[in-house]
Amino acid sequence: MAVGRFIVTAVVFALVWEFLARAQTGSMIISGPVAIAEYLTNNSGLIVRAATETTTNAVLGFLWGNLAAMMLAVIVTLLPRSEWTISTLALLVFCIPLIASGPILRVLFGPGPGPQITLAALAVYYTTFLAFLVGLKAVSQNWTDLMGVYGRGRVATLFTVRLRASVPYLFVGLQIAAPAAFLGAMIGEFTGAERGLGVLTLRAMRGLQTDATWSLACVSAGIAMLGYGCLGALRRKFTPHAPVILFSPKRLDLGRSITIQLIGFVSVVGLVFVLWQGAMDAFGLNPFFAKRPGDIFRFLSEPAHLNTLLAALGATLAYAVPGYLAGLGLGAGLAILLMLWPPVARATMPIAIALRAVPIITTAPLLVLAFGRGFTGTVAIVAVMIFFPTLVACLQGLRQTPAQIVDLFESYGASRFQLLRSAQIPAMLPALFASARMAVPAALLAVTTAEWLATGRGIGVLMALTSSTSDYNMLWSCVVVLCLVAVVSYAFVAWCEKKVLGIYANEQLA
Amino acid sequence: MTRADIHCDNIQKSFGAVETVSQLSIVFKSGQTTALVGPSGCGKSTILRMIAGLETPDTGSIRIGQETPRQVARRGGLSMAFQDPSLLPWRSVRSNIALGAELARKPVDRVDELIDLVGLVGFSDHRPAELSGGMRQRAAIARSLISAPDVLLLDEPFGAVDAITRRRLNRDLPPLWRERKTTTLLVTHSVEEAVLLSDRVIVLCPRPARVLADIPVDLHHNRALPETNAPAFRDLAMRVLTALEEAA
Repeated sequence: MAVGRFIVTAVVFALVWEFLARAQTGSMIISGPVAIAEYLTNNSGLIVRAATETTTNAVLGFLWGNLAAMMLAVIVTLLPRSEWTISTLALLVFCIPLIASGPILRVLFGPGPGPQITLAALAVYYTTFLAFLVGLKAVSQNWTDLMGVYGRGRVATLFTVRLRASVPYLFVGLQIAAPAAFLGAMIGEFTGAERGLGVLTLRAMRGLQTDATWSLACVSAGIAMLGYGCLGALRRKFTPHAPVILFSPKRLDLGRSITIQLIGFVSVVGLVFVLWQGAMDAFGLNPFFAKRPGDIFRFLSEPAHLNTLLAALGATLAYAVPGYLAGLGLGAGLAILLMLWPPVARATMPIAIALRAVPIITTAPLLVLAFGRGFTGTVAIVAVMIFFPTLVACLQGLRQTPAQIVDLFESYGASRFQLLRSAQIPAMLPALFASARMAVPAALLAVTTAEWLATGRGIGVLMALTSSTSDYNMLWSCVVVLCLVAVVSYAFVAWCEKKVLGIYANEQLA
Repeated sequence: MTRADIHCDNIQKSFGAVETVSQLSIVFKSGQTTALVGPSGCGKSTILRMIAGLETPDTGSIRIGQETPRQVARRGGLSMAFQDPSLLPWRSVRSNIALGAELARKPVDRVDELIDLVGLVGFSDHRPAELSGGMRQRAAIARSLISAPDVLLLDEPFGAVDAITRRRLNRDLPPLWRERKTTTLLVTHSVEEAVLLSDRVIVLCPRPARVLADIPVDLHHNRALPETNAPAFRDLAMRVLTALEEAA
């Protein structure tokens, strides 16, 4: 029955798609299923080779990234005192937009799959770290007491209780990680690989080959969703009830005092610089391309350099901010609208979750085809990137409204709108802000990728340019500035969160 | 045999501003079973948790023989059955019971005997989710017994157990821990159970916990279950009840 309905839906979808494609043949925006199938048959050898390459890199990155994430989470569990430092470092690294580290990794690794694998690993480790850590900590006190009664410590508790109890959480994290790894691998290929789907996509876009662009986007999205589906099936086999996880770190208060927080933060940033310098020296990397903190500081002291960089940054932010706000607003708005019609919300949830699995970046070329290389196209890419995770998180947040409160409102005959305004939207706010924080690096990733691929302005282009002209000082400066922007924006959103939740959802701040 | 005498010496414990236990001194004799009764929130569980080494007294000390609670715990000499069965949902009943011996680093060889004792024959391969609340509780009791501890701490473990099994456990458990010379501490809300199972009943009054009555029970000479309607039993139960009313 379900299969039948799925087939009917798919056929109708394909027919509409084909019709649209044929209706606008002249404008070269949409390729229909027939054209795509034709392209794929004619170029099957090429596509299969490229897909194998990209998938291999994605799988390797998936393994490395998740392994690192799991080890970090285990360290935090065994040494609770390290939690603040490790979580903050992990967050800082997560804030580095992937496309910004791409060119640097390319320079450091040289040709070959190194950067793709590293980027795939970077794309997955943070969500897995969060999910696994939540799982490791989601252990009832009774169990830790039981271990304590037998005089067993953290290690025994980890092996006997925590690792097994965290499996459902780990699976939720791994499922999200599957498409993310693919996205990381493709971005790595955008930054100058020799083989892979990302390379073909870049070529197809530059050559304005609509059929090729669409075919590649379909293949990429298909593989990513297949990974998501496979891990989902695996998860359902082992753990029938998936826990709901907000993929966002909880605020870690070092103490009440803002001074202590500031000192903690500054020392972690300092640690980053030390690690940066140390890694460069330890591997004896050539200072020509492996720049140290001091080089960047000297380079940016020159007003001309700084002005170029700030001008590019301004252009980038002019696209990123509207896209960011549009993505959040549309995601939250649609979630609220759907909540007014619960049957529609129930039907939409699985679709939204499935679409969250599509690595939006792989469809960026299609958005460029549709909306052009200017303001609209770039903003659309940023907005779409943020839209789906926000929608899913907000729908989950709206559902967290306690049932008794809903009953209470209904017993007074309150309207659906009153319920929404007074109970459900406040319940949604924590989820909305969690997405807003996580969307900061995502927005920067989307805007720089769009610039890299299409628009020809902003900091993404500056990086593309400087990496081809070997202007490594400027390249490193771009990356440092992007990271700073990400961290500062993240902190700003977290500050807004604290203010707003303080008014509307005080209990959530505990 | 003084090895597992438990000495609580002037112990005091506060949680935030609330002083739960204040200057409490009690000795629990080795091999004896002592029931702790008292109104809810009077600090019974806190005392048990301190003896288990899960909490440390703010002042004063607890010694089990010559050792601290943590030392006894580390050599597997302690076990505890909690109000909540706290079974691991991914392990079978058999494996959950065996866990008690594994954690105490003792041989895992008496699982079947204990499954029989707590009346879970035929359920040994079931997961906790497939059992009733009372059955889970019984599995947890078996888990606390399998390591043959010197000190056994029972925090209202019979709460969810049905009346018939409860009666059977009341009959079968005391001989078991008497034979092994286990020092047993039992927190319970049932006056009858306190008198039935123990050699001594201590009535505590709340905030901070202090001893209101210390009533020896001498009904166990013949090592059989005392008659609950015998005059001697009813007298003792009445004394405990009167003290409890005073405590509340």
